[in-house]
Amino acid sequence: MAYQPKPPEGWLKTNLKYTKQSGSWAWILHRITGLGLTAYIYLHIIALTSLTKGAKAFDDEMKLFTTPVFKVLEWLLFSLVIYHAFNGIRIVLVDWANGARYHKKILTVVYGLGIVLFIGMGFLMFREPITNMFASIR
Amino acid sequence: MYKHTGSRGSGAPGWVLQRITGILLVVVVIGHYFIMHADPASGHTYSAVLERMHHPFWKMFDLTFITVGLWHGLNGTWGIFRDYELKPAVSLTIYGIIILSGIAFWVLGVNTILSF
Repeated sequence: MAYQPKPPEGWLKTNLKYTKQSGSWAWILHRITGLGLTAYIYLHIIALTSLTKGAKAFDDEMKLFTTPVFKVLEWLLFSLVIYHAFNGIRIVLVDWANGARYHKKILTVVYGLGIVLFIGMGFLMFREPITNMFASIR
Repeated sequence: MYKHTGSRGSGAPGWVLQRITGILLVVVVIGHYFIMHADPASGHTYSAVLERMHHPFWKMFDLTFITVGLWHGLNGTWGIFRDYELKPAVSLTIYGIIILSGIAFWVLGVNTILSF
Protein backbone atom coordinates (compact mmCIF):
# COMPACT_ATOMS: atom_id res chain seq x y z
CA MET A 1 0.00 0.00 0.00
CA ALA A 2 1.35 3.37 -0.97
CA TYR A 3 2.18 5.80 1.79
CA GLN A 4 -0.50 8.48 1.86
CA PRO A 5 0.80 11.95 2.64
CA LYS A 6 -1.01 13.73 5.45
CA PRO A 7 -3.47 16.40 4.29
CA PRO A 8 -1.90 19.87 4.75
CA GLU A 9 -4.48 21.08 7.27
CA GLY A 10 -4.46 18.02 9.56
CA TRP A 11 -6.95 15.21 9.94
CA LEU A 12 -9.38 17.01 12.25
CA LYS A 13 -10.04 19.80 9.78
CA THR A 14 -10.27 17.33 6.91
CA ASN A 15 -12.78 15.24 8.83
CA LEU A 16 -14.86 18.27 9.77
CA LYS A 17 -14.94 19.39 6.14
CA TYR A 18 -16.48 16.16 4.85
CA THR A 19 -20.10 16.39 3.79
CA LYS A 20 -21.91 14.27 6.34
CA GLN A 21 -25.10 12.40 5.53
CA SER A 22 -27.12 10.38 8.01
CA GLY A 23 -24.76 7.40 7.66
CA SER A 24 -21.71 9.48 8.62
CA TRP A 25 -23.42 10.64 11.79
CA ALA A 26 -24.43 7.05 12.54
CA TRP A 27 -20.77 6.06 12.15
CA ILE A 28 -19.53 8.89 14.39
CA LEU A 29 -22.15 8.12 17.06
CA HIS A 30 -21.29 4.42 16.92
CA ARG A 31 -17.65 5.20 17.72
CA ILE A 32 -18.43 7.66 20.53
CA THR A 33 -20.97 5.33 22.16
CA GLY A 34 -18.55 2.40 21.75
CA LEU A 35 -15.73 4.24 23.51
CA GLY A 36 -18.16 5.33 26.22
CA LEU A 37 -19.39 1.79 26.81
CA THR A 38 -15.83 0.42 26.94
CA ALA A 39 -14.93 3.03 29.56
CA TYR A 40 -18.08 2.04 31.45
CA ILE A 41 -17.11 -1.69 31.50
CA TYR A 42 -13.86 -0.69 33.20
CA LEU A 43 -15.74 1.37 35.80
CA HIS A 44 -18.26 -1.44 36.26
CA ILE A 45 -15.48 -3.97 36.96
CA ILE A 46 -13.75 -1.67 39.46
CA ALA A 47 -17.04 -0.86 41.22
CA LEU A 48 -17.98 -4.51 41.69
CA THR A 49 -14.62 -5.50 43.21
CA SER A 50 -16.18 -4.25 46.46
CA LEU A 51 -18.06 -7.58 46.51
CA THR A 52 -14.83 -9.22 47.67
CA LYS A 53 -14.53 -6.73 50.55
CA GLY A 54 -17.55 -7.96 52.44
CA ALA A 55 -21.19 -7.02 52.96
CA LYS A 56 -20.73 -3.56 54.47
CA ALA A 57 -18.39 -2.27 51.77
CA PHE A 58 -20.73 -3.47 49.03
CA ASP A 59 -23.98 -2.24 50.58
CA ASP A 60 -22.45 1.17 51.33
CA GLU A 61 -21.40 1.46 47.71
CA MET A 62 -24.85 0.42 46.49
CA LYS A 63 -26.40 3.16 48.62
CA LEU A 64 -24.44 5.67 46.55
CA PHE A 65 -25.37 4.01 43.25
CA THR A 66 -29.09 4.06 44.04
CA THR A 67 -29.19 7.83 44.68
CA PRO A 68 -31.31 9.78 42.14
CA VAL A 69 -28.26 11.26 40.38
CA PHE A 70 -26.79 7.81 39.70
CA LYS A 71 -30.19 6.42 38.67
CA VAL A 72 -30.50 9.15 36.05
CA LEU A 73 -26.94 8.48 34.84
CA GLU A 74 -27.84 4.79 34.64
CA TRP A 75 -30.85 5.69 32.52
CA LEU A 76 -28.76 7.90 30.22
CA LEU A 77 -26.27 5.04 29.87
CA PHE A 78 -29.09 2.98 28.40
CA SER A 79 -29.24 5.38 25.44
CA LEU A 80 -25.63 4.44 24.61
CA VAL A 81 -26.43 0.74 24.99
CA ILE A 82 -29.54 0.86 22.84
CA TYR A 83 -28.02 3.00 20.10
CA HIS A 84 -24.84 0.95 19.88
CA ALA A 85 -26.80 -2.33 19.88
CA PHE A 86 -29.32 -1.29 17.20
CA ASN A 87 -26.81 0.46 14.99
CA GLY A 88 -24.59 -2.61 15.41
CA ILE A 89 -27.39 -4.76 14.00
CA ARG A 90 -27.64 -2.27 11.16
CA ILE A 91 -23.90 -2.62 10.46
CA VAL A 92 -24.19 -6.42 10.37
CA LEU A 93 -27.12 -6.14 7.96
CA VAL A 94 -25.15 -3.78 5.72
CA ASP A 95 -22.17 -6.15 5.71
CA TRP A 96 -23.92 -9.49 5.48
CA ALA A 97 -27.48 -8.99 4.30
CA ASN A 98 -27.30 -6.53 1.41
CA GLY A 99 -28.23 -3.77 3.84
CA ALA A 100 -26.50 -1.11 1.75
CA ARG A 101 -29.71 -1.04 -0.29
CA TYR A 102 -31.92 -0.19 2.67
CA HIS A 103 -29.57 1.14 5.39
CA LYS A 104 -31.31 4.53 5.63
CA LYS A 105 -34.62 2.83 6.38
CA ILE A 106 -32.96 0.76 9.12
CA LEU A 107 -31.45 3.94 10.56
CA THR A 108 -34.95 5.40 10.93
CA VAL A 109 -35.97 2.24 12.80
CA VAL A 110 -32.79 2.45 14.94
CA TYR A 111 -33.58 6.00 16.07
CA GLY A 112 -37.34 5.44 16.37
CA LEU A 113 -37.24 2.18 18.31
CA GLY A 114 -34.30 3.48 20.32
CA ILE A 115 -36.22 6.53 21.56
CA VAL A 116 -39.28 4.40 22.38
CA LEU A 117 -37.21 1.86 24.35
CA PHE A 118 -35.27 4.65 26.10
CA ILE A 119 -38.49 6.24 27.33
CA GLY A 120 -39.87 2.80 28.23
CA MET A 121 -36.75 2.06 30.28
CA GLY A 122 -37.26 5.40 32.04
CA PHE A 123 -40.76 4.33 33.09
CA LEU A 124 -39.46 0.96 34.31
CA MET A 125 -36.63 2.49 36.31
CA PHE A 126 -38.59 5.37 37.82
CA ARG A 127 -41.90 3.57 38.24
CA GLU A 128 -42.02 4.24 41.96
CA PRO A 129 -41.24 8.02 42.00
CA ILE A 130 -43.54 8.56 39.00
CA THR A 131 -46.43 6.73 40.69
CA ASN A 132 -45.82 8.65 43.91
CA MET A 133 -45.78 11.95 42.03
CA PHE A 134 -49.17 11.28 40.43
CA ALA A 135 -50.55 9.98 43.71
CA SER A 136 -49.62 13.23 45.45
CA ILE A 137 -51.26 15.32 42.70
CA ARG A 138 -54.54 13.47 43.12
CA MET B 1 6.65 -2.66 4.33
CA TYR B 2 5.20 -3.12 7.81
CA LYS B 3 5.28 0.54 8.61
CA HIS B 4 2.54 0.65 11.24
CA THR B 5 1.87 -1.66 14.13
CA GLY B 6 -1.26 -3.60 13.54
CA SER B 7 -1.24 -3.14 9.80
CA ARG B 8 0.54 -6.44 9.28
CA GLY B 9 -2.54 -8.64 9.07
CA SER B 10 -5.62 -8.00 6.99
CA GLY B 11 -7.67 -7.58 10.16
CA ALA B 12 -10.30 -9.94 8.77
CA PRO B 13 -10.53 -12.35 11.76
CA GLY B 14 -11.01 -9.40 14.12
CA TRP B 15 -13.61 -7.93 11.78
CA VAL B 16 -15.66 -11.14 11.68
CA LEU B 17 -15.32 -11.72 15.43
CA GLN B 18 -16.35 -8.12 16.12
CA ARG B 19 -19.66 -8.84 14.38
CA ILE B 20 -20.20 -12.23 15.99
CA THR B 21 -19.44 -10.97 19.52
CA GLY B 22 -21.57 -7.92 18.74
CA ILE B 23 -24.63 -10.04 17.89
CA LEU B 24 -24.10 -12.02 21.12
CA LEU B 25 -23.72 -8.81 23.14
CA VAL B 26 -26.95 -7.29 21.78
CA VAL B 27 -28.83 -10.12 23.49
CA VAL B 28 -26.66 -10.33 26.62
CA VAL B 29 -26.32 -6.61 27.37
CA ILE B 30 -29.95 -5.70 26.77
CA GLY B 31 -30.98 -8.76 28.81
CA HIS B 32 -28.59 -7.76 31.58
CA TYR B 33 -29.93 -4.20 31.55
CA PHE B 34 -33.55 -5.31 31.83
CA ILE B 35 -32.78 -7.79 34.61
CA MET B 36 -30.27 -5.79 36.66
CA HIS B 37 -30.80 -2.10 35.89
CA ALA B 38 -34.47 -1.70 34.97
CA ASP B 39 -36.07 -3.41 37.92
CA PRO B 40 -35.42 -1.61 41.23
CA ALA B 41 -36.48 -4.78 43.08
CA SER B 42 -34.01 -7.07 41.30
CA GLY B 43 -31.87 -7.32 44.41
CA HIS B 44 -28.75 -5.24 44.78
CA THR B 45 -28.06 -6.12 48.41
CA TYR B 46 -24.95 -8.09 49.26
CA SER B 47 -26.89 -11.23 50.18
CA ALA B 48 -29.04 -11.12 47.03
CA VAL B 49 -25.97 -10.72 44.82
CA LEU B 50 -24.13 -13.54 46.63
CA GLU B 51 -27.06 -15.87 46.11
CA ARG B 52 -26.91 -15.18 42.38
CA MET B 53 -23.13 -15.44 42.29
CA HIS B 54 -23.23 -18.94 43.81
CA HIS B 55 -25.40 -20.13 40.96
CA PRO B 56 -23.31 -21.78 38.19
CA PHE B 57 -25.52 -20.31 35.46
CA TRP B 58 -24.95 -16.71 36.52
CA LYS B 59 -21.27 -17.43 37.04
CA MET B 60 -20.98 -18.63 33.44
CA PHE B 61 -23.15 -15.74 32.28
CA ASP B 62 -20.89 -13.19 33.99
CA LEU B 63 -17.66 -14.84 32.81
CA THR B 64 -18.92 -14.87 29.21
CA PHE B 65 -20.15 -11.31 29.53
CA ILE B 66 -16.88 -9.95 30.88
CA THR B 67 -14.72 -11.82 28.34
CA VAL B 68 -16.79 -11.08 25.26
CA GLY B 69 -17.64 -7.53 26.36
CA LEU B 70 -14.05 -6.53 27.07
CA TRP B 71 -12.77 -8.11 23.87
CA HIS B 72 -15.44 -6.41 21.74
CA GLY B 73 -14.85 -3.04 23.39
CA LEU B 74 -11.08 -3.15 23.15
CA ASN B 75 -11.00 -4.58 19.64
CA GLY B 76 -13.32 -1.76 18.65
CA THR B 77 -11.11 0.83 20.35
CA TRP B 78 -8.05 -0.53 18.57
CA GLY B 79 -10.04 -0.46 15.33
CA ILE B 80 -10.64 3.27 15.79
CA PHE B 81 -6.92 3.94 16.31
CA ARG B 82 -6.08 1.78 13.29
CA ASP B 83 -8.05 4.20 11.14
CA TYR B 84 -5.52 6.96 11.75
CA GLU B 85 -1.97 7.24 10.62
CA LEU B 86 -0.07 7.05 13.88
CA LYS B 87 3.67 7.02 14.39
CA PRO B 88 4.86 3.46 15.09
CA ALA B 89 5.91 4.35 18.65
CA VAL B 90 2.53 5.93 19.43
CA SER B 91 0.70 3.03 17.84
CA LEU B 92 2.72 0.49 19.83
CA THR B 93 2.12 2.39 23.07
CA ILE B 94 -1.64 2.51 22.52
CA TYR B 95 -1.69 -1.17 21.56
CA GLY B 96 0.28 -2.00 24.71
CA ILE B 97 -2.08 0.00 26.93
CA ILE B 98 -5.10 -1.71 25.36
CA ILE B 99 -3.68 -5.24 25.76
CA LEU B 100 -2.26 -4.75 29.27
CA SER B 101 -5.23 -2.90 30.73
CA GLY B 102 -7.57 -5.39 29.08
CA ILE B 103 -5.79 -8.33 30.71
CA ALA B 104 -5.58 -6.53 34.06
CA PHE B 105 -9.29 -5.67 34.14
CA TRP B 106 -10.26 -9.13 32.91
CA VAL B 107 -8.29 -10.69 35.80
CA LEU B 108 -9.87 -8.22 38.24
CA GLY B 109 -13.37 -9.06 37.07
CA VAL B 110 -12.82 -12.82 36.88
CA ASN B 111 -11.33 -12.69 40.38
CA THR B 112 -14.50 -11.02 41.66
CA ILE B 113 -16.74 -13.59 39.98
CA LEU B 114 -14.73 -16.63 41.07
CA SER B 115 -14.23 -15.59 44.69
CA PHE B 116 -17.67 -16.96 45.58
